[in-house]
Amino acid sequence: MLAFRSEEHVGRWCETRGIPHGASFSLEQAWELGRRWYGDKLSPDWRRATPDEAERVFTDIGLTGDFWRLRA
Amino acid sequence: MGAAEAFDREVRLFVYRHFVDEGEPPTAAQVADRLGKSTEDVEASFRRLEAAHVLVFAPGTLNIWMANPLCAFPTTFRVTTERGSWWGTCVWDAFGIPAMLDEDAAIATSCPDCSEPMEFRLEGGSLTVDDGVAHFAVPARRWWDNIGYT
Repeated sequence: MLAFRSEEHVGRWCETRGIPHGASFSLEQAWELGRRWYGDKLSPDWRRATPDEAERVFTDIGLTGDFWRLRA
Repeated sequence: MGAAEAFDREVRLFVYRHFVDEGEPPTAAQVADRLGKSTEDVEASFRRLEAAHVLVFAPGTLNIWMANPLCAFPTTFRVTTERGSWWGTCVWDAFGIPAMLDEDAAIATSCPDCSEPMEFRLEGGSLTVDDGVAHFAVPARRWWDNIGYT
């Protein structure tokens, strides 16, 4: 997951490198993803999120659609 | 909790704390020395943690490449807090480092398209950015097909 100056830069980068356009979203959403995903990583009680829990985090942040589904 | 699970938990926590404190991940021998276990026991734990997608190793080795959100090798995401500096594997992980540490941070990166430097600041849990957008090329269900590329 990379950070670009704008959607225009994402499009140009994908096109020149032959990389399919995936999903674009705001940096605020990326920060929220980091916060929700890693906030407890130094806790002794940390455990890996289940697919259901992970998909719930994506949905809560507004990252929805097939791209964000962990199972077919 | 079984003995192996309890040991893996201890190893994981030691790896993360060492990585945060020293700026680089420990070797299996270092973990073994500090936990009073054999290197073979720690290597077996490393393999279980890799299989569980908790640690990622450099190809063909048991040298830690990623203990997400921390990355052992230079990336385009440098995260600096009052406590130190670390490499984040991607923008998600770069934001994950201050979240994990519960600290303010400056994140330096550059636009992959035009190489223009970009900096994001996190202060008191709030993000300050002038502009920018995050992009993920790989759909979620394929992230672990090649986590290095992802």
